Amino acid sequence: MMAPKRSLLARAADDRMVVAVALALAATAAVVVVGGLSGYRVNTIGQLACFALLALALDLIWGYAGILSLGHGLFFAVGGYVVGMHLLERSVAETGVTPDIVQFMGWKALPGWWGPLESFPVALAAAMGVSFAVAFVFGWASFRSRVSGVYFAIITQALVYVAMLLMFRNDTGFGGNNGMTGFQVVFGVPIQDPAVTKGLAVASVLALLAALVGCRLLMIGRFGRLLVATRDDEVRLRSLGYETLRLKLKVWCLSAVLAALAGLLYVPQVGIINPRVLSPELSIEIAVWCAIGGRGRLAGAIIGAVLVNAVKFALSASLPELWPFVLAALVIVVALIFPNGLLDLGKWKPTLLSRARALEPRDATP
Amino acid sequence: MRMGRRLGLLLLAFAAAWGSPALAYDRAQIAAQACFGAAGLSEAAATLTAGAASATSEDAAWAATLTGALLDKTIRCGAGASTIESPSGSVDAATLAKAAPADGPAPVLSLKNRPLVETARAAATLFAGATAGERAAALRALERRAASLPPDLFETAAAREPDAGLKEQILGVGQSALLNSPDVAKRIAAIERIAAQPSRRAETQIAALKRDPAYGKEAAFAAAVDAGLTSIDRWLRVSSVANTLYNGLSFASILFMAAVGLAIIFGLMGVINLAQGEFIMLGAYVTYAVQEALRAVAPGLLEWYLILAIPVVFLVVAAVGVALEATLVRRLYTRPLMTLLATWAVSLLIVNLVRVGVGTQNLQFVTPSWLAGGKLLVGDFIVTWNRLFAIVFAGVTLVATWAVLKRTRLGLNIRAVTQNRAMAGCIGVPTRRVDMMAFGLGSGLAGLAGLALCPIYNVNPQMGSNFVIDSFMVVVLGGVGTLAGTVVAALGVGQINVLIEPLYGAVAAKVIVLLMIVGFLQWRPEGLYAVKGRRK
Repeated sequence: MMAPKRSLLARAADDRMVVAVALALAATAAVVVVGGLSGYRVNTIGQLACFALLALALDLIWGYAGILSLGHGLFFAVGGYVVGMHLLERSVAETGVTPDIVQFMGWKALPGWWGPLESFPVALAAAMGVSFAVAFVFGWASFRSRVSGVYFAIITQALVYVAMLLMFRNDTGFGGNNGMTGFQVVFGVPIQDPAVTKGLAVASVLALLAALVGCRLLMIGRFGRLLVATRDDEVRLRSLGYETLRLKLKVWCLSAVLAALAGLLYVPQVGIINPRVLSPELSIEIAVWCAIGGRGRLAGAIIGAVLVNAVKFALSASLPELWPFVLAALVIVVALIFPNGLLDLGKWKPTLLSRARALEPRDATP
Repeated sequence: MRMGRRLGLLLLAFAAAWGSPALAYDRAQIAAQACFGAAGLSEAAATLTAGAASATSEDAAWAATLTGALLDKTIRCGAGASTIESPSGSVDAATLAKAAPADGPAPVLSLKNRPLVETARAAATLFAGATAGERAAALRALERRAASLPPDLFETAAAREPDAGLKEQILGVGQSALLNSPDVAKRIAAIERIAAQPSRRAETQIAALKRDPAYGKEAAFAAAVDAGLTSIDRWLRVSSVANTLYNGLSFASILFMAAVGLAIIFGLMGVINLAQGEFIMLGAYVTYAVQEALRAVAPGLLEWYLILAIPVVFLVVAAVGVALEATLVRRLYTRPLMTLLATWAVSLLIVNLVRVGVGTQNLQFVTPSWLAGGKLLVGDFIVTWNRLFAIVFAGVTLVATWAVLKRTRLGLNIRAVTQNRAMAGCIGVPTRRVDMMAFGLGSGLAGLAGLALCPIYNVNPQMGSNFVIDSFMVVVLGGVGTLAGTVVAALGVGQINVLIEPLYGAVAAKVIVLLMIVGFLQWRPEGLYAVKGRRK
């Protein structure tokens, strides 16, 4: 007997974790708006939301399509650098203060071609467009030659590494190893204003919430099903007549654009963008957040990113040397004991260890 | 009478300078001249210098003594014969026989005369110096004034010189002297001889002749200079290419050793060990530990620490690899991407343990005497022993790895499991144990790469990350699980890196290598040497 077809939203609410996280995000946004939190706390919440969005972007491709990118910092940096250029243009236009980058790059003024980025819609479109274009070209070249699995991970890592080397050079023209800093205003409001901190944090949390709901709706639909099928048996899906290249390319570009959005929201909150965000370590850490939180369920990526980064912020202040050890131990423990990340904790009993392993998600077939 | 004698002496000195009469020194006369004021002194020095080439060895020794005495002010001039104060008492300046000391002071050397006397002493020492070191010092003193010396001086000295290295140097200086000889034919011959040993110095030497008046007047001379410059320039270009290729080869050697373990493991188990770079670093650190242990226990063997460390490094790093496989990789074999993250965590752990335990500074390695320096082959192309060590070491490693894979039971099993794991397991190959051994083998090889780069690169906790991406590129390019592919890809990536670097910089080299690899994968997704098998 067929069950009556339920509405999309009802089905989207099936995953209680996603609902819980979404509610928590809405509550967080409300708390930030109402106030009572210190500026530092608000800023931290905003940064965590950006990292969570980045992890969500990676979970789309790794958790659902089985494609692991170890170079997602590249798209994050695209968003960051574009918004950095936009903020510098605005700062010069509104305060007349010459930014540091002009001095150490030996320029007279900001390059002329940055001009159009002064308007935010153009900057937003540019960030999305550039990350989409880079992702499309690279993804098309890789998926077309059926580079996947470990190969793809390694090549994306090389990609982000090369991008970092390029950006560290002054003659690339984006501030070299100093990067861009000294942003004065955001939408005409001085950047030190608490309202800016609050506004950016709320924007980040809401962007994350929107992305979570949107991706959840997308993933329970036909597209999401096909992605999971690609992950689990791409050869069979191709035999059934689906063009997996297109499927992969779509989700890959969507993920890149989300990562760029995360970078775009992140940079105004920390007030600097430099090539460090392109280090292979950061890109691997994004995958680690997903793995720790649990892949392929969207909520897991967000929980992982928030937890790991909250611990990182806490430790960096008190015991910075300890952090790498904690992170390494976390990854190894998660890899060995919780195949599904911390989402396993809910159903974990020591006796069921073997059964949990039997249920673990497998990587895409090579 | 005095005038006449001086004139005669002058003539004699000139004759000695222009021709080269094979006659012994008139010792008495020269010794007397030395006490004969500034003019006499310069004549005496000229005579000694001019006659140095044709003097007997006794005379040369005497000339060295006399000029030495003049410079040290141990000569006494008197009304009669002048004498020299030697440690064993005073001797006659002409015969070196015992004599009562003369009653006068030593002659004062004028500014003009001092270099003349120094040259005369150096010329005599070049022939009569007791040790090669003394003769080499004399040669250096003469080199500055080579142009004003009789050309045959160096040829004769080189002919008598027992030390081969010094003989070469003397000949070289002699040719520079000939460059300024009054005889154009000799000059042209010298230009040709110098051009035959191309180097930057030869180039500047010959280029300087373009300002010589003869360059405008003598067509043959000008032609010789131009031809010499062209030939030197060509050789210098050749040698700079050779240098580049040589450096590329040494980089490729390290790269090969770093990547071969990755390639074997990847072909066998389909996993990538992100801690491979840290295994290289561990190899370098174990080498350092061996060096320090030898320094403490057996300083006599310190010279050979690089050789003695080979088995230690291999075993220690292989043990770490086996431990990693048994505790982590084996449990994640259905999830290669999780293996990637887990091994990355291990690499983070190793780097930070080393950082906390040993420190972040570069390690100081002793350069054994047999690795110091190199050999100048052609032009500026120097084969440095430390790079040659890495190349030879990689060659030996390649042969040994090939032998293990093709000639041992373990190698047979590795190849079987690489081709078809399920089938190999069915016919009784212990696949899990093969995995572990192969992981150990690959890790040990990475450790050896760390050993080979100790004499060339900086060794610090972060060094692994410099190699890890390049070695992945080699694996991707070469195809997995093939030795031949790894060799070819390592050579390719290594050479491309050093070829592009001088033109556009190191970063551009990396960018181009990456783009080439992505482009290459469009054409051959499986890498250069794909293992034949069913497309999965």
